[in-house]
Amino acid sequence: MTQAVEANPYAPQVARLSRVIDETPTIKTFCFDLEQPLEFRAGQFVQLGVPGLGEAPFTPSSSPLEPGHLEVTVLRTGGVTERLHRMAEGDVCTLRGPYGKGYPVEKLEGKDVVVVGGGVGLAPLRALIYVLLSMTDRLNKVVIKNGARESAELLFRRQYDDWAAHDKVSFEMTIDAPEPGWAGHVGVVTTVLENLPNEVNVPNAYAFSCGPEIMLRFVTFALLEKGFQPEQIYLSMNRRMSCGIGKCGRCNIGPYYLCKDGPDMCYAQIKDYPNVF
Amino acid sequence: MSDTLFLSKDGLVRLLEAVKASEVYAAVRRERGPEYCHLQEAPEAEVALREPRPSSSPKAFLQPAKERVAVYTNEGFDVEASRPVCEDRALVGLRACDLAAIAYLDKVFREGDFKDPFYEARRENELLVSVDCVAVHENCFCTAVGGRPFAESGFDLNITPLESGYLVEVGTERGREVVDRVADAAAEPTDEQLAERNAARQKSIGQVEKQTRGLRVTDTIQELLLAKQGTDELSQMAARCVECAACTFICPTCHCFYLYDQVGGAENFERMRTWDSCILGGYSRMAGPAGAKPTPRPSLRSRFANRLLHKYAFSPQQYGMLGCTGCGRCIEACCGEIDIREVLRELSGDTSG
Repeated sequence: MTQAVEANPYAPQVARLSRVIDETPTIKTFCFDLEQPLEFRAGQFVQLGVPGLGEAPFTPSSSPLEPGHLEVTVLRTGGVTERLHRMAEGDVCTLRGPYGKGYPVEKLEGKDVVVVGGGVGLAPLRALIYVLLSMTDRLNKVVIKNGARESAELLFRRQYDDWAAHDKVSFEMTIDAPEPGWAGHVGVVTTVLENLPNEVNVPNAYAFSCGPEIMLRFVTFALLEKGFQPEQIYLSMNRRMSCGIGKCGRCNIGPYYLCKDGPDMCYAQIKDYPNVF
Repeated sequence: MSDTLFLSKDGLVRLLEAVKASEVYAAVRRERGPEYCHLQEAPEAEVALREPRPSSSPKAFLQPAKERVAVYTNEGFDVEASRPVCEDRALVGLRACDLAAIAYLDKVFREGDFKDPFYEARRENELLVSVDCVAVHENCFCTAVGGRPFAESGFDLNITPLESGYLVEVGTERGREVVDRVADAAAEPTDEQLAERNAARQKSIGQVEKQTRGLRVTDTIQELLLAKQGTDELSQMAARCVECAACTFICPTCHCFYLYDQVGGAENFERMRTWDSCILGGYSRMAGPAGAKPTPRPSLRSRFANRLLHKYAFSPQQYGMLGCTGCGRCIEACCGEIDIREVLRELSGDTSG
């Protein structure tokens, strides 16, 4: 990013879409080949916008190890995302960032890592998964659980086999509403957490989860029930992060601004503040 | 020349005239009471030095209610048009509570990993001239939040009105330069004048203390707020709130804003920011269907509680300062007649009031 943009944190750079991938009926991935690589840590977010309309916060789903190629995976759900979904290769978007702290990857050496995604929540977790896959020699184990409403909404399905093929990595998926012929697991994502104590060494594990708030809530309760301590649970909290730099005030949980101190928060930090879930 | 000087009434008029800045904002006398205004737009106005604090704060001069923060096109962002433009400025007649608010806003906008270049530009070349409160507004409670009705730091010049003139304390070199322009009008203060200042200050403290009736925002109140954050007790306070957001707009430290984009001209786009309020329902609404709980604080009560918590519990953790200066402006502004002092008193279990 240029010096001038850094000097004015509200000013966006513009970036042309190099590709748009249809992921599910409601989710698309927007790809950018950037002249100036956007260096980010897994879990940090960017403000992606439509010129003249506005921006919204998204955590990139691409690998932080390839900062020149940025991918942002977006669920169509509001004004900005509706317009983004109508965009095509060559169209111009606004981009600012990265912001926030990112996942505490440095804490994971020698650990069991549990990744729990729900719906489009797997998008930011994919950036983490890329990092984890690049460091499996330094991890004890990676357990990925992913849930979606229906099989058509399973995100990044083409990659599941690749992930599971890695040493030390296991992958399990589940859907709430099976269609005829579905042979896989059925149930909300917490139902595939039941066996977790047999899959990982709980006292030596960290869990990362991203998904709808209702899912985060039940995943948290399930993890606590399985013996995880609040310190071992990281949640991607979503609030209306507008400025991205800890000034505009609207994304607070207690004294924390998610844009600055998150958006992935350790459950131990936020659990005693109101309106967490 | 010492740090405190005496000026006659005429001398002070000359001193204020010697404040040379492209933009001067001052607390001036108005029929309905003192208020801050752009002095160039009201050249006849008299600076209000002996009245209580104005009913509005000088916040709008530091963070305008609406401003453009970037211009961009489909080709990139316009560096020149996105640059903050700010001439040298002076704020005159600030009360101690307003200086405290500026110190708070400085922490928000000038510290941390990202600085706000627009706020920064305004503050960089700004002369701050404060004045002791020789008259106290009935809603003032600065002493309850660790303040005093006069400033001891944070100013370039501070004025103390006396019976027969003014004492002017020099806080910085920038202040010194202004005083030097009227050096012939300034005299060393006498012991009597210094004693008069001391007595006037003690009198003002006494007046504020009398009307706060022993209210003290201490760590205990912060603990109480945190302990009661999810309870009905805290929520009851919000019963009279009508969600007008006046408290946040009038508050000298409330600084929340909203960024939005709009089409500027034929070829460009503008990024704007406006004041926003955590009391309003749409404040933190996110995209998504109602079932996905797109508003983290859907009830007015939870928003009211969040504002209180931010002022008295979260701000000390975030910035090492309370988010309240005790100016009491929210008390006049509130359509629901909520008195923040009563709220604090009730929360702390003090029923003496």
